Amino acid sequence: MVEAATAGSPALVITNLVFRYSGSGETLLRIPSFELAAGGQALLTGGSGTGKSTLLHLILGLMEPSSGEIRVAGRAIHKLHGEARDRFRGRHVGMVFQTFQLLHGFSALENVMLAMTFSDIKPGEHEERARELLDRLGIERTGAPPEALSVGQQQRVAVARALACGPELVLADEPTASLDPENGRAAVGLLREVCRERGAALLCVSHDPTLAGEFDEVHGLASLSVAEGARV
Amino acid sequence: MAVTDFTIVARSLTGRAFSTVVTALTVCVGVCLVLTLLSMRDAGDKAFARGTGNMDFLISRDAGEIASVLNGIFYADVPNAPINIAELDGLVPLARAPFEYLIPTQLGDSYRGRSVMATVPEFFTSFEPNQGRPLAFAEGRAFVKKSESPFEIVAGADAASSLGLSIGDVIALSHGGPREESHVHTEYQYEVVGILEPTLTPHDRALFTELTSAWILHAVDDSEGLETLATEADIQERHRQITGVYARLARRPGTTGRPANFQSAFEAIRRSGQYTIAEPNAQIAALFRIVGNVNAILLALAIAVLISSGITLMLALYNTMEQRRRQIAVLRVLGCSRGRIFGLVLTESAILGTAGAIAGVLLSLFASVVVSRSLAQAVGVVVEPSLPVRETLSVVVGAIVLAALAGLIPALTAYRTPVIRNLRPIG
Repeated sequence: MVEAATAGSPALVITNLVFRYSGSGETLLRIPSFELAAGGQALLTGGSGTGKSTLLHLILGLMEPSSGEIRVAGRAIHKLHGEARDRFRGRHVGMVFQTFQLLHGFSALENVMLAMTFSDIKPGEHEERARELLDRLGIERTGAPPEALSVGQQQRVAVARALACGPELVLADEPTASLDPENGRAAVGLLREVCRERGAALLCVSHDPTLAGEFDEVHGLASLSVAEGARV
Repeated sequence: MAVTDFTIVARSLTGRAFSTVVTALTVCVGVCLVLTLLSMRDAGDKAFARGTGNMDFLISRDAGEIASVLNGIFYADVPNAPINIAELDGLVPLARAPFEYLIPTQLGDSYRGRSVMATVPEFFTSFEPNQGRPLAFAEGRAFVKKSESPFEIVAGADAASSLGLSIGDVIALSHGGPREESHVHTEYQYEVVGILEPTLTPHDRALFTELTSAWILHAVDDSEGLETLATEADIQERHRQITGVYARLARRPGTTGRPANFQSAFEAIRRSGQYTIAEPNAQIAALFRIVGNVNAILLALAIAVLISSGITLMLALYNTMEQRRRQIAVLRVLGCSRGRIFGLVLTESAILGTAGAIAGVLLSLFASVVVSRSLAQAVGVVVEPSLPVRETLSVVVGAIVLAALAGLIPALTAYRTPVIRNLRPIG
């Protein structure tokens, strides 16, 4: 059974989150309060080493916080353990990696379908859902391997994969890093549009200052740490 | 069609096709060696047992019992200590037992590398090379006694097909055994009058003629200066020699198995000191006890090869783990649990083992045929290769389990793959 989300909950709620390095004990992240409403969109900015990627890994449940709580779609992800957490992540959180992380040996279509392999979505629906998403994102060569696609197309396949399970929350890590500024803006625009269409909240982390104009809500990671609270 | 766990495993295997094929081949070779040895061991036992047929004793003057059986039944060599045919009459009183048959045989001639056994027509009617199945003719008939050339000859199934003999062909025999052919008796002709059905025994490789013709041939060797061709009239007592006797004790009607007087008859002939008496089945069993030790060593070596193939499989999978860490990390982010990753690698390993094992079974069938043909050509033992079902299943299941075990360490490595470290952008 996939751990269910709580209907009507915010997509992401962070409460009193602290993350310290286990060795040195140095605090990397301290976020008293942050909330991203269902379907909301926000950009988190910050320079290198400010903990952007660590925050994403914490939200994905791949790292354990030193203290505090992260709720994704109403569920405290770190209270889930082992397989339950893996299944919850696969079903409710989509991830667009900086370098896309598409798997070689699988076609664009299969890369998208792979995201549903570990979910409770009926296998008979996988192909139809994947094709519909790729079509929406303008990928015609669905049978082509990732390396045969342009960088922009690869990113759109990665976006399709992130949305395949119909997650409540999509995380995007430096989505413009592999693209030129013009294509970067277009890619983020498309990402926002598709997430909005599918009712998924979007949390984008980037050090690219030009992206600030694309989002209504922009937070510096450093300011989140001292702010009383942020609500999007 | 959805992407399943099997798709992921299959893509992983086809993505490194060369390594997959080589790894499966190592398993294949191990399985093939084990199965071929098992198959040949079983088939070998049966093959040797088949040749002895329904005879109780083989009586000769060979130096030892095993030599007597190898020469008299398996045509290994020409016996060099003859028995006079007149002695045959003395065997019944010597054994103090009635015989169902006493078939005299003489080896000493050959045709194009095949032994020619001179015997009596009773050989075709009473002796059964396979218990319960008398010799049968595929074509023609048994030879009849002729006093002068042309004589008659019958070819075993393999001899006829290998030498291209047909009914009506006329041939000339060489003096001496297959390995030591000397002069060819071109002056004496033998007409092929019968071709036997295959019996899968060494007798398939031989030719059979009537004793008198063999004595005539030896009489002419012994009689320089004969101006005309020797005939039965030229045979002297010293020429009437045989090299062995196939013997079967008489049974009470309706009884099977050894007769009660078997041991006493055997001992009586043995104690006389005049003959070497061999119980073929016991000699074959003794031979296999000796060969069995070699078989056990060979089998142990084959199992060692199989285990080493498991180690190769483990190394091959383990080495790919380094290249697959990123894939594993991505699958984990997509919701694949550690346990499922472990299972995927273990399945991959088991599939490699299964493919190798199946290929090994097929290869061993082929290898068994090649080995059996070589054995038939080299030593005349007709081995029917067949894979014993229970042993084959055990070896196949063993290979798959071994492969799965070999996958444990790579699977554990995959299970422990740190996700975050392997998601970092390269460069």
